[in-house]
Amino acid sequence: MRAGQDAQKKLSSTSDPASAAGSASSTRGQSTSAGNGAWLRGGAISPKGALSPAMRERFADLVGRIAASKDREAFSEIFDFYAPRVKSYILRLGADDGLAEELAQEVMISVWRKAHLFDREQASVSTWIFRIARNRRIDALRRRRKPELDPQEPLLQPADVTPPEKAISARQTEDQVRAALAELPQEQVALLQAAFYEGLSHRDIAERSGLPLGTVKSRIRLAFQKLKTKLEDE
Amino acid sequence: MHTDFLSYMSDDAVAAVVSGRTDPAVVLLSDTMRALRGAEADTGESVAGVLLETETPAEMSDGAFDRLMAAIDEDEFGADPTWKKAAASAGSAINELIALPEPLREAALDAAGDSGWRFAGPGIRILPLNVDGRAEAEIIRIEPGSSTPRHTHDGVEFTLCLSGGFTDERGSYGPGDLSVADPGVTHRPTADDGEVCFVLAVRDAGLRFTGVLGALQRVFGR
Repeated sequence: MRAGQDAQKKLSSTSDPASAAGSASSTRGQSTSAGNGAWLRGGAISPKGALSPAMRERFADLVGRIAASKDREAFSEIFDFYAPRVKSYILRLGADDGLAEELAQEVMISVWRKAHLFDREQASVSTWIFRIARNRRIDALRRRRKPELDPQEPLLQPADVTPPEKAISARQTEDQVRAALAELPQEQVALLQAAFYEGLSHRDIAERSGLPLGTVKSRIRLAFQKLKTKLEDE
Repeated sequence: MHTDFLSYMSDDAVAAVVSGRTDPAVVLLSDTMRALRGAEADTGESVAGVLLETETPAEMSDGAFDRLMAAIDEDEFGADPTWKKAAASAGSAINELIALPEPLREAALDAAGDSGWRFAGPGIRILPLNVDGRAEAEIIRIEPGSSTPRHTHDGVEFTLCLSGGFTDERGSYGPGDLSVADPGVTHRPTADDGEVCFVLAVRDAGLRFTGVLGALQRVFGR
């Protein structure tokens, strides 16, 4: 039995109609709110303060030290930066403070134990820790709900594109995503945050933001395409 | 073979996998396949990583770090309790499971400690994984030269080769390769000689795969 399971009842599903209604009721139909992402639980994140390449290298080195020698000082630095942010991520998903702290601690234990599996050539520490946190979230929700993918979602069809030949490294991708995100209008960042980070369906996003479903779909597609285009251009 | 199938998918399908909104079995299949192929972070994953690092920090309670380290120390120098649970389950092919890529390893060790392996014919053992959702997932261990029982499916079945190799009606598969069997297709994977073959099988319970798996099926179905 995992520690998160006893508390999973408290972790509300992002598709929970009650929580959706709660956060959407005051903002529905107001385009300014939709634009600045105030409809997102906990508000919109500004990606402008992303880590510099030097800091990302430093964090990758720290995880390397944890892997190599169970270096507690290195782990403490990683903990100080990431634990409060992972906790924020979990709070956004609807957990109360106690559960968010507990799950954040579990994520950090995984960072300690799985440090040797981190590959800096494949992802940044942030991306890697996000994956761990996402899996912990899935685990905490286990046996609580059925995932709610809508089979009628037209956008769930495969993209009609030929993927670009990958000629750039993961490090470059991580650099460029940071640069591209910083240039996107806040409204588009908020939509990417809802879809890729918080895992809201297009229908949930429409309900919470007050935007029509078709608008949500086309704007997310546009924002993601912009990111990918910027990546290809550079 | 395609290195990273996420680049073939629509933005919504990528978001469903990256954020963990889709079926857990599908996230597991996707992560495992990408790990085996050494796929680099997808654009969507990097977006999530950036948002995590630019999050407004929430305050941790006093002494959170010290309590965490104390818990790690208490737990036998940081040994993973999942492993201990799995090791306690007799005959669970523990060393073979430890060689699996994350996050499948954790799911496999968890399942080995819970339900454990079941015998499924000569040379075949099956480990059902604890995953929610419409899709179910299991690890199948096949001795060299052995075959799973010939079977058909109500829905689509995805068989990802984890180690060793197998051959079915469609071709031969090595680590990271995916075989897609459509409904009604009779298929019978046989492990290649020389090495035990581990596969991850994901199928839904009689429902038609849609969404992410539908996209996977189009990319890999032959």
